[in-house]
Amino acid sequence: MTSAPINSPFQHSGRNVEQLMQLLLYALCPGICASLWFFGFGILINILLAAGVAIAAEAAVLHLRHRNIRSRLADRSAVVSAVLFAITIPPGSPWWIVVSGILFAIVIAKHLYGGLGQNPFNPAMCGYVMLLLAFPLQMTSWHVPNEVIIGPLRVDSLGIPDPQQLVISPLSWIGLQQALLLSFPFAANNLQGSQALVDGLAMATPLIEFKMAGHSALFAAWEADAAVFARESETAWELINISYLIGGLFLLYKRIISWHVPLSIIATIFALSVIFYAPGSVAIYGSPYLHMFGSATMIGAFFIATDPVSAATTNGGKIYYGIIIGIAIYSIRVWGSYLDSIALAVLFGNFCAPLLDYYCRPRVFGHGKTLKPLQNESRSERSRA
Amino acid sequence: MQGDAVYARTTMGGIKPPPHKHNSLRSRIMATPIPEHLAIPIGPAPSGLSATGVKVGERVLKYQMLSRYKQAGLTGDESGQLAVPIHAPTSGIVTAIAMAAVAEASVQERLCIHLSSDGLDEALPLQSEKDYHALTPPELFQKIAAAGIIGMGGAGFAVARKLHLAAQQEVDLVIINAAECEPYITADEALIRERAVAVLLGSDIIKLACAAKRCVLAIEDSKLDAIAALEDAINSPLLENANVELRIVPSKYPAGSEKQLIQCLTGLEVPAGQYPTDIGIIMQNAGTAHAVFAAVVEGKPCISRITTLTGNALQTPKNFDVLIGTSTNFLFDLCGINRSTKVKSIVGGSLMGHELFNDDAVVNKTTNCLIAGTVEEFPGIQPEQACIRCGYCANACPVNLLPQQLYAFSDYEDSNQLIQHGLFDCIECGACDYVCPSHIPLVSHFRQSKNSINAHRLSMERSQQWQQRFQYHQYRIKKDKDQALGSKDSISAQESVEFAESFATETIAEQESFSKEKASREIAAAVARVKARRSKIINGDPDKDEPPSGDSN
Ligand code: SF4
Ligand code: SF4
Repeated sequence: MTSAPINSPFQHSGRNVEQLMQLLLYALCPGICASLWFFGFGILINILLAAGVAIAAEAAVLHLRHRNIRSRLADRSAVVSAVLFAITIPPGSPWWIVVSGILFAIVIAKHLYGGLGQNPFNPAMCGYVMLLLAFPLQMTSWHVPNEVIIGPLRVDSLGIPDPQQLVISPLSWIGLQQALLLSFPFAANNLQGSQALVDGLAMATPLIEFKMAGHSALFAAWEADAAVFARESETAWELINISYLIGGLFLLYKRIISWHVPLSIIATIFALSVIFYAPGSVAIYGSPYLHMFGSATMIGAFFIATDPVSAATTNGGKIYYGIIIGIAIYSIRVWGSYLDSIALAVLFGNFCAPLLDYYCRPRVFGHGKTLKPLQNESRSERSRA
Repeated sequence: MQGDAVYARTTMGGIKPPPHKHNSLRSRIMATPIPEHLAIPIGPAPSGLSATGVKVGERVLKYQMLSRYKQAGLTGDESGQLAVPIHAPTSGIVTAIAMAAVAEASVQERLCIHLSSDGLDEALPLQSEKDYHALTPPELFQKIAAAGIIGMGGAGFAVARKLHLAAQQEVDLVIINAAECEPYITADEALIRERAVAVLLGSDIIKLACAAKRCVLAIEDSKLDAIAALEDAINSPLLENANVELRIVPSKYPAGSEKQLIQCLTGLEVPAGQYPTDIGIIMQNAGTAHAVFAAVVEGKPCISRITTLTGNALQTPKNFDVLIGTSTNFLFDLCGINRSTKVKSIVGGSLMGHELFNDDAVVNKTTNCLIAGTVEEFPGIQPEQACIRCGYCANACPVNLLPQQLYAFSDYEDSNQLIQHGLFDCIECGACDYVCPSHIPLVSHFRQSKNSINAHRLSMERSQQWQQRFQYHQYRIKKDKDQALGSKDSISAQESVEFAESFATETIAEQESFSKEKASREIAAAVARVKARRSKIINGDPDKDEPPSGDSN
């Protein structure tokens, strides 16, 4: 890096990278809490494990690269990558999934390309896709503690949930034990009766269910007069998405992210799902509502695709970037063989970003559509003076 | 005379930094006591001081012209520049003509006339002129030129010449810039608050001088006192014959930058590489308008200006009517400076100003603000982090550049991409720097890139010139030889001119597609040619002269 003499400006807005990352973490909280509520401690274990490994890996790599560890770690970008990675992989994944994924993200996707600011691809999503290719089975099933949800919600004619189904909360002690055992299966040998605990239930994301037709659990719960926050109502995905939406709106309000990427992704997915949705006939396409809230759309649109380093950086470029990602998400979901598609779509968008930036340069003040370089400006100025 | 509505068209980018203005606006403008020692800088405009107009030891009176100012006419002297005279701010003895530090953006030192004041403040009589309407534009130019007025906003361009050029280009609109968008600076605001009538009359004089149809004074909506003063003044009988309109623009940095303000007021963009006069607009600063009023109506030459003294290291920040040549320390002392807390002196505002390394630097005609800052105000250099491509800088840029891309290209020193991404359109406003969360000194990088590209260009031009000259020289020698031999294919003078011209156009075409590789290739080729020639000369080809070498200027 060339060193430049420091002079004006002497004033600064005071906003720095640490603050941005901090606010980003705050904005993730509602979504994480919702996940915690519905799916138990699995997500928290994922986050803690990923963050710990990410910090250690970042420090190690910085040390190898002879960088100042403390000042670079202070920017918290590794933690943000880790959290984004952890919330996208299924809770209850075994520890080696988490560790290998985040190591891949930090060491290969981030630092091999030059560290923060240089990586062309979103590290968290690189880690996710690596796992998706290597361990497809583990990555598509969501383990939830076995007592939590047993089959679809059963309500009697009065709309009262079947008492047989009232279950232990995943936030209970047993829930925690289960979650730990799912993450660290090697501990099971030493525990009594663990076999029953580990026998968790694999649940697919709602899009899988809805590929086989069906409709929103939130609406179902409403129709059935069930409490939407009750875990049995299977409203988890929708409420989690709404929580991430709230976090995303907070980021927009704080102007941490600009509206271009989230809006264009959401609008594209919405438009496509409206166009292709044909109720009754081909249920495979899913309703627009389902595409918005039934899967990881909100996390993707507000938190993952907006990662500034790998996204397009011009405003025009961001809009095309969002549209490309939106189309990719929808296509992969509906016609592709992967079930959820945020990661692949975002990486595809990352591919296109430099090109989009090149063609979406804004019109410079005082120039026509294309910028004619000012030749010998200094000379003409001198002759005028 | 409508001034009620905020009148603005959309401008690009911009930021809203904390203004830090109220401190220096608490008191009225104060005249300073006469300092014992003054150092009147010669420049930035050429002063016509070829041989000094005064001798060391000579006693001068207040308002006396210190430079030998030839009335060079408004077309300027042989270098195309108009001499701007300087005047004695008070009476006293000239003690020396020597370099001294100046509080200016562009340079740190200038040749100054050092004056030891005798405290008598004995003045030459002034010629006042009540009815400026009776004067013709040439008379107005003459008066403005003789008063030694240069742009008070910071550009330092000779005002008379600028007005003259504007009149020649038949401008329609005069804009008086009182936006003063930069933090800390309040000189124009204070001036307008107290002397609105003079500023408006000065604006009217400028309008008359360049025969424009309209004159608009633009001020930011946050300057409520100044706006009220302007509205009062516009309705007062003193301005019956004047015709100046008031326009209130939104407070946004850099709204007061020339091209941005024009865009805000008219919706027009000054095309790149052109001047506002090319689209029929001329802009002058409010302080300049006041100086023009003093020069034309009161007959006073420019010997003082309003300068803001501010910063948390000063106990009583305020605006001073400062004599040109007063030292910064003298002013700091008047404001009760606490030197133990001062960490930085800045001349200009906090966003486009420059650090002042010598507090003895003297006030010149362009010095609008002096800041004595504490460590809380200016915490110094923050560690630079990697660019995260957040794009905040691009959204802040008033000329729609992509600072993040420019930064990347300046890191790779890719001058072609830099030029294509509009590096030379950057006005160095610092808005991008201000918002950058990674604390990257973007403007410094851009300045450096501009300098190195310009230096590269210059050396390219030079080498091409010499190459061209040499080739022409050889061609002429051949022609002479041919003529001497009386050969049939001797070339006429006409043809030789054509040949030279074809060379010139070729080199211009080459210049346009210049790149570093090409430059190095060409240099290598030139070296090879020189070597070949040398060996030729050494091997005995004595009828050719030694070719001109590249350093003989
Ligand atoms: S504001 Fe700073 S960190 Fe953000 S894109 Fe611009 S240069 Fe990079
Ligand atoms: S300094 Fe240059 S690049 Fe930065 S905001 Fe100002 S004009 Fe744009």
